[in-house]
Amino acid sequence: MAGMSAANAAPITATDSLSQALKANIIPNQEYLLQGSVLDSAVEVLLHRLRGLCDNVDAGPETFDDQEVCFSLRDPNQQAAPLMLRVRKALDYRDMPFQLRYIGQPDLGDKNRPTVVRSSLDIACSGMLIDFLNELGCRIEFEYSVKGYMFRKGRMKITVAKVFKISQGSMPPEPISQSYLVELSVLAPQGQDAIAEDMRAFADQLRPLVQLDKIDYKRLGHIGVT
Amino acid sequence: MNMQQREEKQLETTIQAILIRVNDLKTAIQALINKLETEYETINWPTFLDNYAILSGHLTGLSKILQVELAASLKSRIVLPLQLSCERDEALARLTEGRVPACTHDLVPDLLRTKPEPQAEQRLQQFNHKASTLSYDTAQKQVAQFTKVVSHVWEIISKGREDWDGDSMRSAGMQPTHSISDTHALVTAVGTGKGLRPGIPSIVPQGVAPGMGPSRGPAPQLGQAAPSLPKAPSAIKTNIKAANQIHPYQR
Repeated sequence: MAGMSAANAAPITATDSLSQALKANIIPNQEYLLQGSVLDSAVEVLLHRLRGLCDNVDAGPETFDDQEVCFSLRDPNQQAAPLMLRVRKALDYRDMPFQLRYIGQPDLGDKNRPTVVRSSLDIACSGMLIDFLNELGCRIEFEYSVKGYMFRKGRMKITVAKVFKISQGSMPPEPISQSYLVELSVLAPQGQDAIAEDMRAFADQLRPLVQLDKIDYKRLGHIGVT
Repeated sequence: MNMQQREEKQLETTIQAILIRVNDLKTAIQALINKLETEYETINWPTFLDNYAILSGHLTGLSKILQVELAASLKSRIVLPLQLSCERDEALARLTEGRVPACTHDLVPDLLRTKPEPQAEQRLQQFNHKASTLSYDTAQKQVAQFTKVVSHVWEIISKGREDWDGDSMRSAGMQPTHSISDTHALVTAVGTGKGLRPGIPSIVPQGVAPGMGPSRGPAPQLGQAAPSLPKAPSAIKTNIKAANQIHPYQR
């Protein structure tokens, strides 16, 4: 009882500010996404064009080299679909925190919706994260490394990156395909659909070099995590 | 008496509404003319077309008012020119901002006309007559023919556009720059792990059993399996196997 009153007396707890932020709808938990790819032979042209279009041009394109591990947490009763969690680690900046990310089901909407919308939550974590997830009962589903360039245009983020299988032993990392994955995304609070139109307009400027589209990997892959 | 008053009031509001619309239209036209005169060197097409859009918006609003709700009371009104004169009428000139200085013989037929011009009316009648004497079959045939022509033109235009797109790509010396199948492969791999699931996961915390306390394994492990590191000791493999057997949450 004493403890409760002490909690009540506390001016603002983290939970309070979180629920307040949720109510005010200021948390950018929606990701607007368009995806495409560019062949290795044409990636230089694309990078050139992006340098012309994007904001951070003076310093040259920003590079990144990340490793991502996808964990799944199963419902012990096998009722619900497994929860997928992704952990990302910068390989080029070892002192950066790990990034834990939850991505929801992609919602493609109808023909008139310009981009995929999916919920997205991420948070920086320490290296203990992997231990923690293991203790929770999470299991590694797959992993890959992704290396490439990042551009910004206003609120939009554009990444051009090569996806590699994690190599076993001393083999060099093996690329998934002869193309770079190109992603255009914006994180925004719910209901800011106007940004999607901007993204569509930007994507049109990259054509015919790259065709950025709404892609439903669920329909393509048929490899749901079972 | 009461009814007449009400009617008059209605008429007044109607005219007021129309007046407001017409004034809006007038200001929009003035703004456009002003723009053309002062900014003709810098004005661009989008702005110009925006101005047109405003004009057409006002026109639509105006014609809606006239068509739908309020026209009935206006239709039954009669405007009678009582006096025509070539003398300058100051009141009229002021009312029309100097555009109509006098109620003269050559202006009144235009200003008070409620029907189309006689020539236009005649031609309309001709067309109506022609349409009414046409048999159903002929009409159908003509519609079909027209549709055919339109779709043919549409085809030519879209083909031209395709060619032009292709040409502009070829003339720039560009090979195809993207492949749909690669896009699908990459997106599916990143999204669902297709093609990324090895027989054994390469990153497994070394022998982390519950209750063993924090292991130093995982964090550096993530780095060690990285492709950019040349050092990838074979010891990892044995560790992985061990971990697979030990870890209670695996499989």
